[in-house]
Amino acid sequence: MSAKKLNKDPLNLIITGVGGQGNVIISLIIGNAFVKEGYLVTVGETYGASQRGGPVMSQLRISTESQYSPFIPDGCADIILGMEPVETLRMLGRYGNSSVITMVNSRPIYSIDVTAGQAEYPELQSLLNTIKELSAKTWVINATAEAQKMGSPVFANAILIGALIGSGILPIDKTSVEAVLRETFLREIVTNLAAFNKGFELVK
Amino acid sequence: MASIDIDAPGTSQLFIGNEAIARGALEAGIGFAAAYPGTPSSEILGSLAAVAKKSGIYAEWSVNEKVAVEAAAGASFAGIRALAAMKQNGINVVSDFLANVVMSGTGKAGLVLISCDDPSAISSSNEQDTRPIAKWLDIPLVEPGDFQEAKDMTKWLFDLSEELGTLCMLRSVTRIAHARGNVKLGGLPRKEHKAYFEQLHDLKRVTPTTFMPVPSSIRHSFLHMKMDRAREKFELSPFNRYVGPDKAGLLIVTCGSCWLYSQDAVKALKLDDKVGILKLGTLWPLPEKFVAEYLNKSQNILVVEEIDPFLERSIMEMIANLPPSSPHPTFYGKRSGHLNAYGELNPDMVIKAIANILHISYQSRDIEYGRKAEAATKSYVPGRTLTFCPGCPHRATFWAIKNALKLDGRNGLVTGDIGCYSMALGPAGFFQLRTMHCMGAGSGVANGLGKLGQFGFNQPVLAVIGDSTFYHAGIPALINGIYNQSNFVLIILDNGGTAMTGFQPHPGTGMTAMGEPTKVVSMEALCRSLGARVELCDPFDFKSTTATLLEMMAEGGGAKVVIMRRECELVRSRKEKKPPYKVYVDPDKCIGEACGCDRLCTRVFQCPGLIWDKKAGKAKIDDVICTGCGVCADVCPQGAIIKEKT
Amino acid sequence: MAERTKGYKELFTEVIETGLCALCGACADGCPYLVYYKGRIVLLDNCTLSKGQCYEYCPRTYIDMDAISQQVFGVPYSEDEIGVTKEVFVARSTDAHIKEKAQYGGVVTTLLSLALTEGFIDSAILTKTSVDKVPTPFLAQNAEEVLQCTGSNYMACPVVARLNQVPRNDSNKLGVAAMPCQVLAITKMKKVPPENRVNISNVKLIVGLFCTWALSPDGFYQFLAKNLDLSQVEKFDVPPPPTNRFDVYTTSGKLSFSLEEIRQYALPTCAYCLDMTSEFADISVGSAEGVAGWNIVITRTDIGAELVKVAKAKKKIETDRLPSENLAHLKEAALLKKKRALNEIIKRTGSTDNLLYVRLSPRVIERLLEYKWIKR
Repeated sequence: MSAKKLNKDPLNLIITGVGGQGNVIISLIIGNAFVKEGYLVTVGETYGASQRGGPVMSQLRISTESQYSPFIPDGCADIILGMEPVETLRMLGRYGNSSVITMVNSRPIYSIDVTAGQAEYPELQSLLNTIKELSAKTWVINATAEAQKMGSPVFANAILIGALIGSGILPIDKTSVEAVLRETFLREIVTNLAAFNKGFELVK
Repeated sequence: MASIDIDAPGTSQLFIGNEAIARGALEAGIGFAAAYPGTPSSEILGSLAAVAKKSGIYAEWSVNEKVAVEAAAGASFAGIRALAAMKQNGINVVSDFLANVVMSGTGKAGLVLISCDDPSAISSSNEQDTRPIAKWLDIPLVEPGDFQEAKDMTKWLFDLSEELGTLCMLRSVTRIAHARGNVKLGGLPRKEHKAYFEQLHDLKRVTPTTFMPVPSSIRHSFLHMKMDRAREKFELSPFNRYVGPDKAGLLIVTCGSCWLYSQDAVKALKLDDKVGILKLGTLWPLPEKFVAEYLNKSQNILVVEEIDPFLERSIMEMIANLPPSSPHPTFYGKRSGHLNAYGELNPDMVIKAIANILHISYQSRDIEYGRKAEAATKSYVPGRTLTFCPGCPHRATFWAIKNALKLDGRNGLVTGDIGCYSMALGPAGFFQLRTMHCMGAGSGVANGLGKLGQFGFNQPVLAVIGDSTFYHAGIPALINGIYNQSNFVLIILDNGGTAMTGFQPHPGTGMTAMGEPTKVVSMEALCRSLGARVELCDPFDFKSTTATLLEMMAEGGGAKVVIMRRECELVRSRKEKKPPYKVYVDPDKCIGEACGCDRLCTRVFQCPGLIWDKKAGKAKIDDVICTGCGVCADVCPQGAIIKEKT
Repeated sequence: MAERTKGYKELFTEVIETGLCALCGACADGCPYLVYYKGRIVLLDNCTLSKGQCYEYCPRTYIDMDAISQQVFGVPYSEDEIGVTKEVFVARSTDAHIKEKAQYGGVVTTLLSLALTEGFIDSAILTKTSVDKVPTPFLAQNAEEVLQCTGSNYMACPVVARLNQVPRNDSNKLGVAAMPCQVLAITKMKKVPPENRVNISNVKLIVGLFCTWALSPDGFYQFLAKNLDLSQVEKFDVPPPPTNRFDVYTTSGKLSFSLEEIRQYALPTCAYCLDMTSEFADISVGSAEGVAGWNIVITRTDIGAELVKVAKAKKKIETDRLPSENLAHLKEAALLKKKRALNEIIKRTGSTDNLLYVRLSPRVIERLLEYKWIKR
């Protein structure tokens, strides 16, 4: 498969969230889908100690020309997929710009700084409004709520992938991603595919 | 998702650097791999172990890195290609063996050492650049610049090791090890491994077939000959190359992950025609002729590397030896302050250095936007301090330790080392940890403190150590405490695996790296056989655990052991899908901030599953985060947290 | 009465760290931050509240004696040596079993058992001496359990801490056998009822004990453990002056220590205590010096008098007149404690304007400082 030339090369995608949300799985699936289509992909992850309740982010560099470094330079994100609202804003602060496109899961996860009373979690609607002000286009997805309806918050991953692909902002086919999904989710494949399709619905 | 043993030569797969290294080892036809878990190296052995049986190779989690390299050397001595992998601290642990094996030489089969450094100590206690050990002990050293090279270099290193008859080292960093990139696969050899320890004395080889560092003068001079030979090969290596204009306004000399950052930086500044990049993959011995050739590309040279100015210094040394007529460019890098001599680098830092040297300005985004974005982040975004996972037995252990020390009243302290429990230095473990260094250090330090009674010291000493760390480095310290009668309590945090690095098995788990059941090395039986008093506690039983700790501290005498045994929550939840309890807060019983509670559960205990409903003034359980362990029910002073068996 | 003006920090700086703590337990075990453990009040974690019940109910943070006296008896605090009394007499139990185990006359045990069986109370908080002679607060719910708590070991015991642990929705009527400092604490709790813990209006009966000093359950306990086998101890006794002895009765005989040696283990706070006879209890009971096997009993309130009436009617106790000589003796001892305490306080603060934790009217201060000894 030869890769189609990209409108912007490299395409810089950030996936952010809190340790334990399944951030890495999403970047793995999207990265593999692009590699299958012949692109050069670099995925940078911050995990390890970060998993223990700390912020995690994956940075994808997609290109037809060069193998880029695992770091997106400051201010150069094209797309931000945020699994948690505050983390999404944190990413916009560092990597956002006037053309960034943002997709955010609306469910907050409170850090111990907040629950211990040492810091304030911003009021959700005003937080989402700030995210919208800092993005060229924004989708707010209630992925966790929908995932809980399907049986567990972990299905939020597949829902968000579906939403991302369904929105059309990534130059990749649904079928390529679905194929990778099947390879990745060996357990609960039926529910994950349903979640993937749910994500599609949510952005239509 | 390709496994590293996928039989698809010529295809491109998305591998993390560690998987690429593992694939390189498979393509080289290794038979033996050994390692101790350590971020960011663990996936190398992990992925080899996952395919070991199918591939007909052997892969093990050794009890520590020293044994891992020694075991790999044993395989090399008997003609089996072997690999050992570790993080930077592992190199420290192995250093004595390394200093000897470079003298003794290796066997007919290559021996490759992989060192994965963690710049900025993202998942480490200390930050350390392991490349200088190659210079210190005379080890041929390579550093991959991307994921493809991670594979290709590993494969090549076995050939090099065999040709030279010595251990060769590949140094990687987190941003190669854990990042994913395209790797074009080669073929997998259909090899039958045959192990035999040659007893013949082979005069033709540079290295005789006895593996010892004696006699040292002969061995040392042989080693120098090997290094000269290595340098010759490095001069011609395809892992070293130049990209850029014939005459450049700036020449970047770089290696490792910094090659990718440098490329990114040059592209972002659109200086492809002005800035050249000399990428080195073979770092020690330095291919001096090759480097000297490119030094006249520019009057200005910026050396970009992590972490120490290793390459920078080697090049400067080299220049000092060149004839006086040679070009003497201006050097920029860590010595000049253009780049940090600590921490990891990234494209933005390289951009800044280049812009500074060439006096150009760079703006990645609209200034207005930047101002707005930064203001929003500052005012809006709360911190996210690391903590133990919800349901973690360590939280319960340190709760009991904190209470026991307060009740005891003699200002006791906790010494410790590395693992998830290192977080006890923060709110996660109620700020209990007072010392933390390398593996097993807590137990060692406790030994010293426990002998200070004659100088008026009477503070109880509790040394915490993980189960895997205990087998790695804790046993000698415990023996010392029993033999020298040092007064401390060794608390072994047995959560059934090497948790922080990814739940790898260890000698106490009864499972090998390759998934086979094996003998359990019982830690309580071991400690008892050493002559120590040993008590087993369930950290979730606060009352009993606190009472045991108080008793052990009051008893005095030589070293004794408490084993806090409860499975890591992440492991338990994978095995048992169902949480043990449904936990919720009864808002009628919760008194929140009032006198008699003052938000003990959220403010002090701080399990992330407990959240504070500001409007209602009550605690609540976050059902997305809570794992249903039920421990908080015993913490609540009003009995407002209810746990119901599921 | 004290408002909830300060919190645990001041409790430590003003009371616990200055030697004023009586280990009464009023601050302990009512919240997760302050607990009692082996003779100490231990802070397990920091609380962020600047005002707390721990400070409020402590009998050494603020006692306005007039206000307390008004609350309990409706009269101001006077210089009467043994406080407000209805009746003062001697008594002893008629139950042989109790008499055998009792310290002196077994009156406390008898009255509390009777209070239980007659329904004055449903349970009683007492001090129980464990097998290894550690004094522990205990909630007794029948006569059997009350009997297990007879005898004195002269060490402080945080009885009020056990009261703090009674759940707020528990409606059982409670009785308490308390030392003078503990009676003060409970009286403070009755004035401003505690929140989120025991419903203080359920405390129906306070039997106060006479007390000159209490010994440290930390220091004194270690002293005992060093000098004898605690498991063999049957009884402790301080016989009346001029014997100057502390006796320990063991299975293998009697051991005596000089009172000087023992007094060094008295809590420092006892030197500043004005109350020898538990002046604010419903009934106060102590030894009758010179009348072996009998107690001196003082009834002070209606419920106290009522209980004694029932006890006499049911022949649970036998009573007799307290000879005037003995009464004078009692008053002398009580007054001496007040004078000593006041003098110690003034020595410590340097002025009659600052009496540490206690507020006395100027008249009372003057009278106590000038009072002549009562001659027989």
